[in-house]
Parts: sequence; C-alpha cells; structure tokens
Amino acid sequence: MIKTKNLKKIYTTEEVETTALNKVNFEVKEGEFVAIMGPSGCGKSTLLNLLGMLDNPSDGEYYFFDQEVSRFSERQRANLRKENIGFVFQSFNLIDELTVYENIELPLLYQKVSASDRKKRVTEVMEKMQMIPRKKHFPQQLSGGQQQRVAVARALVGNPKLILADEPTGNLDSTHGEEVMELLSKLNENGTTIIMVTHSPAYAEYGNRIVHLFDGHIITENMKGKFHV
Amino acid sequence: MLKHNLLIIFRKFKRNKSSFFINLIGLSTGLACALLIYLWVNDELNVDKFHEKDSQLFQVMKNTKNAEGRILTFEWTPGPLANALAEEMPEVEYAVPVQFSTKEGILSVGDKHIKAKEQYVGKDHFNIFSYHLIQGYKNKVLTDKYAVVISEELAKKIFHTTENIIGKTVEWEKDKFSGTFFVSGIFERPPSNSTDQIELLFTFEFYKEKEAAVNTWQYNAPSTYVILKKGTNIDQFNKKIGNFLQEKTKVDYHSLFIRQYSDKYLYGKYENGVQAGGRIAYVRLFSIIALFILAIACINFMNLSTAKASRRMKEVGVKKAVGASRKALMVQYLGESLLITYLSLLIAIILVELLLPQFNEITGKHLALNFNVNLILSVLGITLFTGLISGSYPAIYLSGFNPATVLKGKLNTSISELWARKGLVIFQFTISVILIVSVFVVHKQIAFIQSKNLGFDKDNIICFKKEGKLEKGLETFLYEVKNIPGVLNASCHLPNLTANRTGTDWVSWEGKSPEDKVFFKYLFAGYDFIETLGIEAKEGRSFSRKISTNDSKIIFNETAIKSMGLTNPVGKTINLWGERKQIIGVVKDFHFESLYEDIKPCFVLFMPNLDNMNIIVKIKTGMERATIARLQKFYKEFNLGLPFEFKFLDDDYQALYESEGRVAVLSRYFAGIAILVSCLGLFGLAAFTAQKRFKEIAIRKVLGSSGFGIVRLLSGDFTRLVIVSLLIALPVSYFIAKHWLDNFAYRIELELWYFISTALITLLIVWFTVGMQAVKAAMANPVESLRYE
Repeated sequence: MIKTKNLKKIYTTEEVETTALNKVNFEVKEGEFVAIMGPSGCGKSTLLNLLGMLDNPSDGEYYFFDQEVSRFSERQRANLRKENIGFVFQSFNLIDELTVYENIELPLLYQKVSASDRKKRVTEVMEKMQMIPRKKHFPQQLSGGQQQRVAVARALVGNPKLILADEPTGNLDSTHGEEVMELLSKLNENGTTIIMVTHSPAYAEYGNRIVHLFDGHIITENMKGKFHV
Repeated sequence: MLKHNLLIIFRKFKRNKSSFFINLIGLSTGLACALLIYLWVNDELNVDKFHEKDSQLFQVMKNTKNAEGRILTFEWTPGPLANALAEEMPEVEYAVPVQFSTKEGILSVGDKHIKAKEQYVGKDHFNIFSYHLIQGYKNKVLTDKYAVVISEELAKKIFHTTENIIGKTVEWEKDKFSGTFFVSGIFERPPSNSTDQIELLFTFEFYKEKEAAVNTWQYNAPSTYVILKKGTNIDQFNKKIGNFLQEKTKVDYHSLFIRQYSDKYLYGKYENGVQAGGRIAYVRLFSIIALFILAIACINFMNLSTAKASRRMKEVGVKKAVGASRKALMVQYLGESLLITYLSLLIAIILVELLLPQFNEITGKHLALNFNVNLILSVLGITLFTGLISGSYPAIYLSGFNPATVLKGKLNTSISELWARKGLVIFQFTISVILIVSVFVVHKQIAFIQSKNLGFDKDNIICFKKEGKLEKGLETFLYEVKNIPGVLNASCHLPNLTANRTGTDWVSWEGKSPEDKVFFKYLFAGYDFIETLGIEAKEGRSFSRKISTNDSKIIFNETAIKSMGLTNPVGKTINLWGERKQIIGVVKDFHFESLYEDIKPCFVLFMPNLDNMNIIVKIKTGMERATIARLQKFYKEFNLGLPFEFKFLDDDYQALYESEGRVAVLSRYFAGIAILVSCLGLFGLAAFTAQKRFKEIAIRKVLGSSGFGIVRLLSGDFTRLVIVSLLIALPVSYFIAKHWLDNFAYRIELELWYFISTALITLLIVWFTVGMQAVKAAMANPVESLRYE
C-alpha cells in the first residue's frame, strides 16, 4: 500500500537547513497497524505528514498504491487524501465553529457525498462511537477524550483505507488514552490500515510493527517480538 | 457545501464581533460614499445625453486669433452659417441657428404677465434636439414666422391648462422683439440633466427680421447646431469646415470646428484653441476619491482577516487534511468577504437614503436612488468588486497555508507578509493625509478669494437688470433711487463684473509703436459707477453730470496706462475705434473678472443707455432689510408691478467659485470619512496586536515596565507606520495642491504649517485610536495573562 524510497525532507530557513528525514525506506502493507516511535524532533511527524501527503518530500519517491505521488500537485494530493486517508491529531484539531455532528460531516462535504448519504453515514459513525447525545455540542463543551473520539469519528466517516494518527493519546489521560487505542485497534481488526506516531511504548504495543526513528533515519523495525536491524 | 460555508461564516461573525462590526461599519461607509459619488458621477456623465441623436448632434465652434496671437474659442457664429452648412455640406442632415437671450422678457395673455427667457431657433429645432412635444408636430411648430412654442409649465401658468391653446395668441414684450404671436406647440419640461432649460421658443426668421445684422457673415451672435448623417467621419468633416468661414468672410483669423453637443458640459474649457478639460476634472477627482475610500475599507478587511489568521490555522489545516482543495477554501473565504460586503450594502443603501438630501444640497443636484436595471446592476457590480478585492488577499493568504505546519500550531509569518500588512496601513494613511492637506488648501484658497481686496467694495451692493420701464427712464429711476433712505449710491454698467468677455486692440495713442500690441478689456458705465463700487481713483476724475461731453471721455486702469507707457495721462487724447477720446481719469486696478484671471488693461466708457445694463445700488450697512423693502416698493410702482428680482453682488461673486465651494465642502466630508475608516481599521489592528502580545506585556510589567512604557511600546509600531505615510503623503499633497492652485491667478502660498498641522492632526488621531487599546492592555493585571500559560 505504501512504499517509500530514499525519502528525504529538508527544511530551510534563511539561516539554517535542517534535514528532518534522510533517505527513509519504508513499507506498509494493507491491514497493518504500524507504530512509529522516537525522541522529539526525530522526524516522526514529518514522516506522517509526507505519508499523508500534507507535505511534499524534498527528494526520494513515495508510492501510494503503486502510484508515485511525490511530485503531485496540491490538487491531486487533496483528491487522493480525501478518498483514502483519515487523520487523527494530538491536539484533536476540531473546528471550534462547528458542532460535533458538523465536524464529523466535514470530510464528506469535500467528497461531495449527497446530503441524505451524509446524514446516514455520520449518524452511523456517531452511533458506533456513542456520540449521539453530544451531536449538537461544540468542541469547547467536550472533555479531551470526547474531543478525540469526535476526531476519530471524523477520520472514519469517509471510510478511509488508511488512518494516520499523530500522537492521538498525547493530550489525554490514561483512561481516555486507552479508550482511543481500543478504538483504533478495533478499526484495524476490521481491515483499516493504521500508522500511528506515539511516545508511549505501551500504546505502541497495540501495533503489529514498531518503527524507531532517530535523527531522520529508521533505526529499527520491530515486528511484534522479532527484531530487525 | 454552501450551507456549511454560510454556517461557519455566521458563527465566525458571532465569535469575532468586534472585527465583524469594524468591517461592517468600514465597508458600509465606504460603499455609501462610493454609491453617492456613483450617483453624482453618473448624473454628470449623462448630462445632455438624452437627445436621441446624441452621437450625431454637434455644435459648431469658432476659433478666433486675437491681436496677441492667442486663439480664443467661441460658441457664437454668424446667422447664415446654419443654412449654408445644410445646403453646402452633404454630411449635414439638419442644421439650426439658436439665438439665446441673456435677460427675460414679459409674456402676456390678457392681464396675466409672466417673465420668461426666450430663444430664437431654426425650424428644425425639434428634429435636432429631442425635447418632447406634447402638442404640435416637430416639423411644423416652427414654420410660421410668428409662431411660439412654449413649455408645459409656462402654458399652465399663463393659460392654466395645456388643452386647446394651440393657435391662441400671446403678447411678448421685449425691446424691439416685442409683438403678437400664436402658440404652435407645447413641450414637456426638459429633463433635469439638460443644460438648456428652454421655456419659450420663437422663430429665427422673426429674429432675423428684427435684428438685421444677424443676416450678415460678420455678426457673430447665434450658436449653430447640426445633426451629421450617420457614419460621417468627424475628423474629415472638421477639416472640411475649418476654412468655411474664411471663404465666406474673407478674413483669415476665424476657423470652425465641431464639438459633440453633450461634451459641452464636461469638456467646456478651451485654452488657446485646444480642449482643456472642464468639469470632467471634478468627475475624475471624485471617482478617484470614491475608489480610495473603498480601498481603505477593503484594506481594513484584508488586514484584520490576515492579522487574525492564527485563529484560522486549525480550520485551514483540518480542511486541507480531509481533502479540501485550495480552491474550495478560497471560495469559502471569498464567500465570507462577499457576504459581509453585501450585508454592508444594505446598510450603505440606508445611509445613502438618509444622506441624499444633504448631498443634493451640497452638490446642487436632484439625485435619487431610483432602482432601475442599470442602477441595480452597477450597485451590485460595485459591491461584488469590493467584496472580491477585500477577500482576495485573505483568501490567497489563508488558503495557502501548509497544512503540516499550521496543524502543529506554527504560523511562519514571513517578512513579506508583515510588510504587505504594513504597506496597506501606510497606503490608507497616505490617502487620508493627502485628503486632509487638500481640505486645508481648498479652504484657505476659498477664504482667500472671498477676502481678497478686489479693488472695489462688493459688500452691500445689490444688482438687477434694466428692464421694463427702466429701459427708457433709467436716469430718472436712478435719481429717485438715490433719494431712498439707506441708499448710498446707484449706477449702471455692462458687462457683469464676474465675467468680462470683451476685448479690443483697436486703440492708438501718442507714441504707440507698431510693435505695441495691447489687448484691452472694457466696461460701459453710467454716472457714479466708480463711486458706487468704491473703486479708488489714482488721478483725474470720473464722468460728471456737469459736462455734456462724457461720451468722448475715457477712464483707464493703471495697468492700461502702464501698458501704453503714457506719462501724465490725464488730459491726453487717444483714439478708440476710430474716435478721439480724452482721458479724464485713471483708477487703481480692480478685478473685473474672476480671480482665475489676472488684471488686464481696461478702460471704462460712459454709455448708460445700452440694453441689458446691470443696475447696481449701494446700501448702507445695517439698513439692508428696510432699504431693500423701500427699493422694492419703489421699483414696483415705477415698473408696472413687475416683480423686483435682485441679487447681491457678493453672491454673484461667490457663484463664480461655486464648484470650488462644493469641492471644498465635499472634500471635507470625504477626508473625514477616509481618516475615520482608516482609524477604524487601525483600532482593530491595535486591539489584536495588544491581544497577541498580552504575554509579552505581562512579562514586561512583571519585570518592572511602567504602564506608560507599555503604551509607548504598542503605539510605537503604529507611529512609525504613520510617519512613513506622512513622508510619502506630504510631498505628494504638496504637488497636488500646487497644481490645483496654479489654476488661479491669485492664490495663497503653500505654507509649511498646513503640512505640519496635518501631520500633527494625523498623529494625534492615531495616538488616540491606538492609545485606547494600549492603555487597556497596560492596565491589565499581569497575573491574569500569565496564568493562561
């Protein structure tokens, strides 16, 4: 599903050039649950952004379903994103002006799903997440865990093949954190591919593969118990 | 999607009330100004455009070279010209002469008498001009020499009806043009955007009979209008008629050209034979002002939206992550600006409705918001344009965020963005400062003109026309008037003191060399002219009742004596128009034209018996009301109950600078609005900056900064921007002001303090605006702000 070759990302400002990712070769098959770990600033989020096509690599190749996408235009990337990828962020990133229902509905709007279909699918997801009573609330009126559940619901509603989660539990206490992890696990069991960045070794264990990043390189890949160097 | 966008826009408005209202007020004020100016400009541009054959309707103009070699452009042409053009030029479909009149005559039916101003026109008048005839046929109404076509209003006044009066007779009393005429047609009052508000039309055939000179090619009095056949090449036609007059008159200093009739109003000024603008300058000026005020309002929107971008980062990031294209986001943000602009339009329309009466008073127009298709489309268009302009920069800026970056909560404000925002503020204040300086200069110049010593005393002088019984009994009348208590003196003169179109170089004097080419202006006057106006005598005397040879005497102004190079002029004899005249006096220079003109050589001749003389009466200060009442009573007795219609010379004089006066008032309002809207934006920006820097302010306070230090910190940035604006605007306004003042022969000097006070006023306003926010920020308890960390 995902394959990168010598993926490189360099950030330049007027004074400094920072290499965030250096020659990363990485592969994810459909149905996998990959956890990415590593210290702050090692390039985890950069990698996730590149995989999610929120950003273009500086060099290297990126195959998404065997299609080389690293030089795609913004519009092409946006199209691929909306059909295939759901995002979950550490800081939830719900839109303050929209209600729970409207936040979840958002991806469907950009996929040009009809109004009746939208209603059906949003309600379905909300039921699954037990969010129905909160449907008219605004994000400010919810707890952190509830907000992240809305965010997961929003990532799910478009039936994406891939969910990218950037420290989804980072802003949550342990109870809420586990709740979210269970949710992701269940999704993975139902066939959704998940790539998740996390600081927590415990949550990383939910994945069936752990990738360690350091200074822009992949240093180890750990397949549930087995060690690859 | 539309619903979603609307929803998010409304919730945004609700959450950011202050910037919403700043934008709403700014945009609605800007749009209201733009609408008012649009109505005015549209009206100006449509003056005289209502004639059906507007594009074929031309006036024949005449260029004449004077003794100094300058070309003067005239509207009057020889009487036979119209017919000759119609006969000899195949391009001409219709041609008519029109003789205008400068004073009113009296139209009577039975014992009903009404004053009216007439014109004598060729038979095809109604084929050329599209005045609507409600009675009579356009090809027939002017065919009989004694026909008269009257306006609907005149008909109602004198017959109390417009029905069944065709063929009825009316009496017309006006010097040699008096007689009995029959009504052949009635026309509807010309629309208000017609420069020619005709009342009463007689035939040119009749005029020719009474004024024989008009049958010659040498006498230039009527105007000539033509309809050219469709497809006529104007340049070629101009070439063809250029020498037309020379062939007829055998003099080589006249040449003819045509000008589109509807251009007369806006492009009426000619300098040395070349079209040199006219009212169009004001049309352009105000269009630019409207654009600038709109731009200022748009900039507020741009600046507030982009300054608050950090609040929208998340939205942009998330939407892009879920697959929104940049285009979709731009549509959303443009939609937001369009929505607020159209909301502002509703308020603007209400404002315009409220302000129109005052605006009409200032501009002297009858503008109204009549929503026809044109107006609706234009208004919607202006609003669309405004919305797109104000939304464009924010839309491009916000939709361009990199989702990966903004989702981390980082907003890399690049130097160029900061400069763009600062540049926009600088632009706003540059415009405001230029407008403030203009207000200063225009006001000073107008005040200068009004207080300028004209070389005579224009106060408390009333003027009226010599008409009715006064024609014959002027001397008696003036004698009696002088005996009315409160009247200090009285006299008569021609032409007006505000517009002197005379001129001659047929003057010779002792010692004149062939190279001496002096062009003189002249005035005709009665006894006591110099005394009534209070013109200062330099030497000699004025015309006297004690001698009977006043006709052969002449009085010069100082400039004339200097130009002729005469020493001890009094008593010397010169030759004028082939007659000997003795110089009896020299007066100090006085202004007999507007202050656009400098004082030229001039002479005064004794000739009180001309038609059309202006009568002037000087009244004692403090007794104006009672004296005028007495004068009125006396006038009515003397002049068969004719109404006494008079003007103050001072008002007449003010009317010369009517456009300037209007510009002065309007520029004051528009400058006020520009600075107000600019400050509104600054207010919003300052509030936002204070909010954004609240942590910094708190830390500074904790570290010991005084409240004043904080105020200075926050005001400093904006002060620098305003100083940059001043540095740009002051030199620019200097050049604009200088250019405008160059129109006047007599003008104020541009003094440094106009610019210094503008700078100070601007800075004070800005400090006040920003200061309010800064003080609020400085007063806040630092603990409150730091706790949010």
